[in-house]
Amino acid sequence: MFDFSMLAQGVATLAASPMALLMAVIGVAIGIFIGAMPGLTATMGVAILLPFTFGMDPLPGLLLISGVFFGGVYGGSVTAILLKIPGTPAAAATAMDGYALTEKGQASLALGTATVSSFLGGTGSVLVLIFLAPVLARFALNFSAPESFALAVFGLSIISSISGSSPVKGLIAGMLGLLVATIGLDPMGGFPRFTFGFPDLYEVPFIPVMIGLFAAAEAFKTMEDPARRLGRAAKLGRMVPPWDKLRSVLPTIGRSTGLGVLMGMIPGAGADVAAFVSYNEAKRFSRNPENFGKGELSGVAACESGANACTGGALLTMLTLGIPGDAVTAIMLGALTLQGLQPGPLLFQQHADLVFTLFAGMVFCYVAMLVLGLGLMRIMGNVLKVPPALLTPTILVLCMVGTYALNNSMFDVGVMLVAGVAGYFMQKYGFPASPVVLALIMGPMAEANFRRALSLSNGSLDFLWTRPITVALLALALLTLFLPVLRWLWQMRQGGGGARRSA
Amino acid sequence: MDRRSFTFSALGAMAAIPLGGRAMAAGYPSRTIEMIVPYSAGGGTDLVARAFADIANETLPKAIGVVNRTGGGGAVGLTGIARARPNGYTIGLGTAEITMLPHMGMASFKATDFTAIAQLNADPSAITVKADAPWQTLEEFVAHAKENPGTVRIGNSGTGAIWHLAAEAFGKDAGATFNHIPFEGAAPAVTSLLGGHIEAVSVSPAEVSNFVAAGELRMLGVMADERVGAFPEVPTFREQGIDLTVGTWRGVLVPNGLPDDALAVLREVAATAGQSEAFKAQLAKMNLNHAYMDADAFQAKIAAQDEFFGELMGELGMAR
Repeated sequence: MFDFSMLAQGVATLAASPMALLMAVIGVAIGIFIGAMPGLTATMGVAILLPFTFGMDPLPGLLLISGVFFGGVYGGSVTAILLKIPGTPAAAATAMDGYALTEKGQASLALGTATVSSFLGGTGSVLVLIFLAPVLARFALNFSAPESFALAVFGLSIISSISGSSPVKGLIAGMLGLLVATIGLDPMGGFPRFTFGFPDLYEVPFIPVMIGLFAAAEAFKTMEDPARRLGRAAKLGRMVPPWDKLRSVLPTIGRSTGLGVLMGMIPGAGADVAAFVSYNEAKRFSRNPENFGKGELSGVAACESGANACTGGALLTMLTLGIPGDAVTAIMLGALTLQGLQPGPLLFQQHADLVFTLFAGMVFCYVAMLVLGLGLMRIMGNVLKVPPALLTPTILVLCMVGTYALNNSMFDVGVMLVAGVAGYFMQKYGFPASPVVLALIMGPMAEANFRRALSLSNGSLDFLWTRPITVALLALALLTLFLPVLRWLWQMRQGGGGARRSA
Repeated sequence: MDRRSFTFSALGAMAAIPLGGRAMAAGYPSRTIEMIVPYSAGGGTDLVARAFADIANETLPKAIGVVNRTGGGGAVGLTGIARARPNGYTIGLGTAEITMLPHMGMASFKATDFTAIAQLNADPSAITVKADAPWQTLEEFVAHAKENPGTVRIGNSGTGAIWHLAAEAFGKDAGATFNHIPFEGAAPAVTSLLGGHIEAVSVSPAEVSNFVAAGELRMLGVMADERVGAFPEVPTFREQGIDLTVGTWRGVLVPNGLPDDALAVLREVAATAGQSEAFKAQLAKMNLNHAYMDADAFQAKIAAQDEFFGELMGELGMAR
């Protein structure tokens, strides 16, 4: 069924084009840098580099863009783990356990695991793309508004598992996020809500809020207590994580890769959703779920493999159907079109040779990412040795520059700083920041798709129980939401009421 | 700059004054021109702007730099163009939204706040259905919609966006009631059509061309004066008895009050670059319809469209 000679030919063509290989490595390096910077996203990197590819041959040009895409998704984890500054929304999930590990002095273990997980997740997803693309091609078309709504509800239910020690405070933070998510243009009617006349607020400034909540808040906190960051560089030793640690997270990586590919294929869900869903499932299947949020290695592995597996899934839908699943693949669609390669049903027939060379190049991109990631780790880890008196102002400056660069907007910088102050007080009083980010991702998705589903069915709510995928996802959401409660009740009965906890 | 050279240049400037516009025209542009694009990098509007800037820069003494200022469905960037200091160093790539957003109360500018330089591209709305749908012509589609009012779902790229208004105008002119479904852009709407979750989309031919070529979708008609180059077999609405032309456009705009010399330079550059073969070739690669229009015709079109959308939105109850 699968034509291996095409793939072999693709590998041979790739090996014979040093320019393409070079562009792949350069792309990955740029991507890692962009991903690590708060505010600079893979989308922006791809958009900026796009004009440079116009003059190139298709292969080097497309591999440059793929490299930025892959590197950008991975790069966010580095600063998330070392400094609790998620460079990308997906890395906000990684920060939960990654930064906890750094605080324990295990930064190199967390970074190494993140790198290997990203590599395995990403490569796995490209392999799925290579071997299963025709089989999975039409999966995305089953996803209409009701399914997307159910997925978003499932995503919101994850708040219960990322709330840390206090579910109530997590829920409050999540609700706060949902309230903030209602700011902007009403997704169906286009009516401005809570914008106070500022056109800048027509869309929720999501990334500025995230940068403020995590990075700026952390910087403020360090100003208050300069001793916080000292003495963590101690254990930045071996780069490749030890085999026994790695083996213990392999099942998580496998599961997260599958989830990531699925999330990537679904229109409207991207690396951020994949990271949070993978984290949730890793916790669900874990033998020690109580360890999550306190520095659990499989939490880091789940987020990173899930987020990177998204890349293959998103590319699959884009290449086979010509449907971009997210902003990055939308730009890549433009890049392919400009190169005279119209993505869609005809691409694999008309340009099979180039497609398979491109696939081989994508695997090469991930290998380059693994090597660069592990190689640069020691250098990047040195950031922990920088005295807080220098590091903290630098972080704040980066937050502002990055936020400004997003839209060339000072308004966004203001939003970021307000979110930073809010985040500082949230941290001080024990409210977790990740539920806010999750609610900001999922809230608008849930609202828009619920209302679109109602519109599609002419006002009938039947879609809630007549569509199998919707029903399954909603059931999963209920399970996720109430499992902790059920478990708690079970423990109460077992312990005869003695195990009463404040939560 | 030392004192002596300052004196000289001051003298030079004074000497230049009596020469008037001519000498000034030779001076513009003396520094980089910023071109505001109200949509994100990598999108259609951005690609048009960058292709135009690249070609215009070959003739301009100082380069045009593209700056993306996104947000508010284009309102933020368009406001930036309208409110820029009118010295010729901030120009913009405007879109049909300048004639739509003000009527919905979503912008602080009006269409009359802009001076036209040149239209570069225009794409009509097209009604596209699935290839296995029973309707072969627009007439059959309309007949079905009239028999089953409110059940035919047409996907668009967002409420108040051009494709939504095109579909509303279609319903009004055809006397049919459609169920308009907004999506976050054209691509998700097309995806939904492919999955069979809606009956039709009203987005531009470029946004469905891929699937029409592959035989998955069928275009019933385009809302243009003439048939579209890429799809000569698809009739216009007018040919099928509905006199309606709605579409989006992109062109170079500046704030009102620009000095005449700067206007002249910009219009000349836009005429050369906008009609060059290189620019046409870039647009064709992106499946965009090249439609150059000079400043006067473009200004008249903006005024006419402004009136059309003002009336339409008033009738639809969308005006605020």
